[in-house]
Amino acid sequence: MAGLSSARCLFRSCSRIKHVERSRHTLMRCGVRTFCGGAQDTGNARPQFTDAAVQDILSRITGLDLQKVFRPILQELNPPTYKLMTDEQVEQAVMGATEKAKKLLQMPPVLPERKPISDVLAEDKMLEGMDTAKFVFTDITYNIPHRERFIVVREPDGTLRKASWDERDRLVQVYFPKEGRKLTAPLIFKEENMKMVFAQDRHEDVLDLCLVQFEPDSSEYIRVHAAAYEDLDKHGKYELLCSTRHFGGMAWYLVNARRVDGLMVDMLKRLLFKDAVSLVSLFHMVHPNSESAKEAASQQATGTDLLKIYAQMESQRSGYIELALQAYEQTAAEGSAA
Amino acid sequence: MATAIQRVAKDLCSLSPSIFHPLRQIQRLSRRLGPSPYLPHSHFFCKAASPQNEDSTQAAEALSRYNDRPWDYLESEEYIERYGASPVWEGYRRNHKGGIPPQTTRKTCIRGDKICGNPCPICRDPNTVIHHQNVKLLQQFISPHSGIVYDSTQTGLCMKQQKKLNEAISTAQDLGLLRFQIPYVKFTGEDFYSSHDAVGSTPPHPSLNSGDTWYKC
Repeated sequence: MAGLSSARCLFRSCSRIKHVERSRHTLMRCGVRTFCGGAQDTGNARPQFTDAAVQDILSRITGLDLQKVFRPILQELNPPTYKLMTDEQVEQAVMGATEKAKKLLQMPPVLPERKPISDVLAEDKMLEGMDTAKFVFTDITYNIPHRERFIVVREPDGTLRKASWDERDRLVQVYFPKEGRKLTAPLIFKEENMKMVFAQDRHEDVLDLCLVQFEPDSSEYIRVHAAAYEDLDKHGKYELLCSTRHFGGMAWYLVNARRVDGLMVDMLKRLLFKDAVSLVSLFHMVHPNSESAKEAASQQATGTDLLKIYAQMESQRSGYIELALQAYEQTAAEGSAA
Repeated sequence: MATAIQRVAKDLCSLSPSIFHPLRQIQRLSRRLGPSPYLPHSHFFCKAASPQNEDSTQAAEALSRYNDRPWDYLESEEYIERYGASPVWEGYRRNHKGGIPPQTTRKTCIRGDKICGNPCPICRDPNTVIHHQNVKLLQQFISPHSGIVYDSTQTGLCMKQQKKLNEAISTAQDLGLLRFQIPYVKFTGEDFYSSHDAVGSTPPHPSLNSGDTWYKC
């Protein structure tokens, strides 16, 4: 009997230790997830959109066409001004314009979808049937960020709950209106209308409107961006977003979805080999466990060798990429010979 | 007889301006009766009877042809013959007293069945319909350089049609049929966090689970 009880005690203590170990493991995993921004072991942590290396690559492949960035827009017109400048002044003006263009090409944030708010603060049955409408109480203190603003809803059945994200966005727009944002989403974001607009090659307009209307972590924002990128990938119209602020987001979406072939082929068609190489290096950064990444790491490949490894291992359109590489090497050889 | 009417009209003119309008009609009538005063009135009515019916049926057919698809009219031959490449409102001139036109155009051209004299560019052509899908027509009223909708004093539209035009333009822009300048959004200095108590999940108050209420009832 005593032996059995002692065995039972031992068993219980063992199971407790097991539970403790398991909980410690989960704690460790949670810790890694929450502090992933400042993770020391970069090998395990997935590179994020905001990492400096990733942003550097994306801004490089976006390009900087001053004529496209500063194209004429619809605005109040003034008579033109003429300036007499020396060559140096012109160069300085162009440099100033490139700086301004880099600021304008700042990439909008790519965030995971926000979790829905469903917290009930109180259930006061005394107030049931007091009114047929909901009451929304918003804290309109001026100096607090919108994300720290308390917005609560009193339902007709007496429950006091925190407002959902849609209600929050709508009410913040009511009390603190943002320029261009509407209370109800414009009808352009419906499926049929978006298809019609994409057929007119106006993806940039839709994405700009999405930036104005929705918050970056809302489901609508993510859905519209995904639809725009899918349509661009399907029809191969990558140059529509070239040297705009949305190109980085599109490249990041395609790299995460492992569908970089179309973009690669488009870059090679436009003879942007450096951009293609940086795109492949970004792919290897994001997917370090893929075959081409391991091969490239083992061979320490750079330049066109990276493209060859990618074409052989990963891509489905390897034929075209290899042909383009051959043509590029031929022209490079001819150029160096001549 | 006609001269007698005119003399009476002139006397009444001096009395008050409110009688001016019907007196103008009397003057017009007297002028009409002037050259051939012995023609019976019935002659005029009979003349107008048959062609009026044909015109109305033709107009009804034309209306019904473009009722469902008003944007087809802008590609039709009759439109090109009438307007060519210039916008619908080009060449229209408002009638007003003095050199400076009133700051607002007339309230509406069509009241019930009656249409006024010199109707506005939209009301004078029953096939030009302001509809949010009629993008080509709407674009004629928007400046191609600045994107601003022309004022009714420039185009000559009556106030009712101008209001309809503004609504149609905003609907078309909403649906994505018309282009417009989208404001640039900066994303500096904004943290999109959801860790604050206002938007994150907070542990519920103990009274919720226990079932006790803070009030005594």
